[in-house]
Amino acid sequence: MPDGSLLVQMLIGALLGLSVYLPLAAGQLSLATPGFMTVGGYVAALLSTRVAALGGAEPLYPLPWLLLELVLAAVIALALALVVGLPVLRLRGIYLAIATIALNEILRVLLLNSSWTGGAVGIFAIPQPFGDPLGYLAALLLLLLLAGAACQVLAGHPLGRAMAAVRDDELAASCSGVDSFRVKLLAFGASAVLAALTGVLAAHFFNTWNARQGSFDASITTLAFVVFGGSRLWLGPVLGGLVLTALPELLRPVGDLRLVVFGAVILLGPLLFPQGVVTPALLQRLPLPAGWRRRLLP
Amino acid sequence: MSLAPLLELRDVSRRFGGLQALDGVSFALQAGEIFGLIGPNGAGKTTLFNVITGVTRPSSGQVLWKEAAIEGLPPHRIHRLGLARTFQNLRLFDSLSCLDNVQVGLGRSDRRRALELLALFGLQDRAAEAAAGLAYGDRRRLEMARALASSPQLLLLDEPAAGLNPTEKQELSSVIRRLAAELRLTVLIIEHHVPLMMQLCDRLAVLNFGRRIALGRPEQVRHDPLVIEAYLGGAGGDPPPEVSP
Amino acid sequence: MDTLLQILVNGISVGAVYALFALGYTLVFSVLGVINFAHGALFTLGAYLTYLGVGGAVGSNGALAGWALPLALPFPVALLLAGAGCALANLLVEAIAFRPLRRRGAEPLLYLITSLGAGVVLVNLLQIAFGAEGYALPADALGDLPPVLSLAGARIRSVQLLLLLVCAVVMAVLTVWLERSRGGRALQAVSEDAVTARLLGIDSDAMVRLSFALSGLLAGLSGGLVGLSVSIAGPYFGIVYGLKGLGVLVLGGLGSVPGALLGGLVVGLAEAAVPGDLSGLKDAVAFAFLFAILLLRPQGLLGRPPISKV
Repeated sequence: MPDGSLLVQMLIGALLGLSVYLPLAAGQLSLATPGFMTVGGYVAALLSTRVAALGGAEPLYPLPWLLLELVLAAVIALALALVVGLPVLRLRGIYLAIATIALNEILRVLLLNSSWTGGAVGIFAIPQPFGDPLGYLAALLLLLLLAGAACQVLAGHPLGRAMAAVRDDELAASCSGVDSFRVKLLAFGASAVLAALTGVLAAHFFNTWNARQGSFDASITTLAFVVFGGSRLWLGPVLGGLVLTALPELLRPVGDLRLVVFGAVILLGPLLFPQGVVTPALLQRLPLPAGWRRRLLP
Repeated sequence: MSLAPLLELRDVSRRFGGLQALDGVSFALQAGEIFGLIGPNGAGKTTLFNVITGVTRPSSGQVLWKEAAIEGLPPHRIHRLGLARTFQNLRLFDSLSCLDNVQVGLGRSDRRRALELLALFGLQDRAAEAAAGLAYGDRRRLEMARALASSPQLLLLDEPAAGLNPTEKQELSSVIRRLAAELRLTVLIIEHHVPLMMQLCDRLAVLNFGRRIALGRPEQVRHDPLVIEAYLGGAGGDPPPEVSP
Repeated sequence: MDTLLQILVNGISVGAVYALFALGYTLVFSVLGVINFAHGALFTLGAYLTYLGVGGAVGSNGALAGWALPLALPFPVALLLAGAGCALANLLVEAIAFRPLRRRGAEPLLYLITSLGAGVVLVNLLQIAFGAEGYALPADALGDLPPVLSLAGARIRSVQLLLLLVCAVVMAVLTVWLERSRGGRALQAVSEDAVTARLLGIDSDAMVRLSFALSGLLAGLSGGLVGLSVSIAGPYFGIVYGLKGLGVLVLGGLGSVPGALLGGLVVGLAEAAVPGDLSGLKDAVAFAFLFAILLLRPQGLLGRPPISKV
């Protein structure tokens, strides 16, 4: 088995890829996935380090508290997504992209300037709910399986079709009975929740957390996951997240070129491979059992 | 016509900046009729469709559906009341299969019903194909199948014959008649091909510069001096209604 | 606590930069209806090119460490050359990130993604070449002009005046050009209706290239001026301005030239009015405005409500 912690990071990448994919499947570009992940991470970091009653005697942080963090992070992220989405998603076009950039920046400024969140240095010594990377691996894999299963159900569900319809032509979708505002809001909310849940686990895993997790670089990286993997099928961003997270670690010598490569993926991907790597056509060609193929294709 | 109208427009106006796209348009549709809307380019026909279907708010005036005001409702709410439309420049969900295009219109997963609707337009063999790959005529038919999926009471067709060849146009005319009769549809139709409209429609309204300049049975409208002037006065590039098929 | 006059001076000169930024976005937006996310990177490029132009040497962390032009140009010349370089660079961005999508009639979302990619590539290439460190233009770049003027107790730096001057000239020239000249009116015609404009014999491809070149020029000029005014804080400093410029753009109204000016001044003045002990929050001001305007008046202060074409 390769480095366990690399696998954990790859799974985090896959989950973030799915978080960017969800709004994109409804035609909305959200750059706030790292922002919501930051929020989730701070919920975990603050709760586990600042609430004194916790994590005293036991060597491991108790799992019920981890669950509480997950619930709390999901609720807060959802509320934040509503605050941003309600004014913005009634408008058509590129407003969500701009508003999510604004959200990231406001979050960053507030977190950097609040002593309560540790200012620029962030929060250290976040307690560990699991003794080794295997625990994180299991927890993240479970989350990924749940999220993937949800996306899979969505593909054959009226809501999933409505998302695709809004992506293809929002006006025609509205005139065909699709409440496009609701569809976009649901997709954006789901994206926020997934990113926040990932952030909770990531904060514990990294043991330290700060506002840099939500930087513009991070937005670019997560977007590259989806552009590379493709946004037509949910497997695409998962693959994109896994591969592109592993890539810089495997190709250490690339070093400074990492972001140039990601930039090039984002720049050239839509031009050369408009549908990304994982496309319905590719699944048709792969030697998969027929049942699998039918299930994976919408 | 003592029955309450299905759809009624009362003094509907719409301005875009300095352009008066609609200027006090009124008329009423009775259930079951095929009602045509003609007029030169830029007369406001598509704007009127947009106002009826909630895409555009009227600047003033009322749109009544079964005597209840619906202007200002969002498009999906109006769609659910039983009004469905097609678009002048074809707006399909290109990445979705034909089947899924229709299922979006249905609002639920119902393969069998969707296939029935495709079959109405001879598209049942294309069900799994992406809409983007269809030939032009099939795209027009698919858009109608999608519009009919919600079992609307009023179907609004925006230039359904545009780009079709003469044979397809004739077919379209009989398909519309047949559907209207079988599904008890009321149809409001915009079409440039005046001869087709003359033989298809029960009544016609003529728009020019946003105003309704004539209303009546095809033979009345055909001889209306205002209509003749609108078409011959150089306001648009459409053929005058005098041209026979 | 600064005097009111000082706040006005600082606010207006920062606002002028934001306005130039938003204007660069606006030029492209009005023709293509999309935002060029590479704009912030071009601003960075303009600053670095100006730095090289006045004879600055690359620092020790860059791949080009120690390299410098064999001659040092006067600042105005270096600035204009940097502007021209950015115009060319933006033409390249158009050719790679926009034109292929336009040929294909792709959805607007993809332009956001490809232009973002172009910006990221450009910024990180600069980072490789120049390193992540900051650069300061020489203090005597403006030659004999006194660095600071005093006026009724307010300190006005010459470079602030220069910024204002450039901003005012650019705004005036652009407005007149858009309204009066053949090319400007053609640009407006394309932004109203590309198909009809083509029927009238206007080459919309040429208009698109023109808008990118102009917008790149603006980015380069403002980058060089800000580099002189507050120094170059590493390759990402343009991105920060670029993101704020988006807030200004939405505040003023997408596609509105006077809106860009007004939005820039509003944000600049509001930032300057943030008291010193809260200065850390300054960077959030533009984005707070963005949300406020989206709630209250989505088309922006001076934008027109969009007409959807069906």
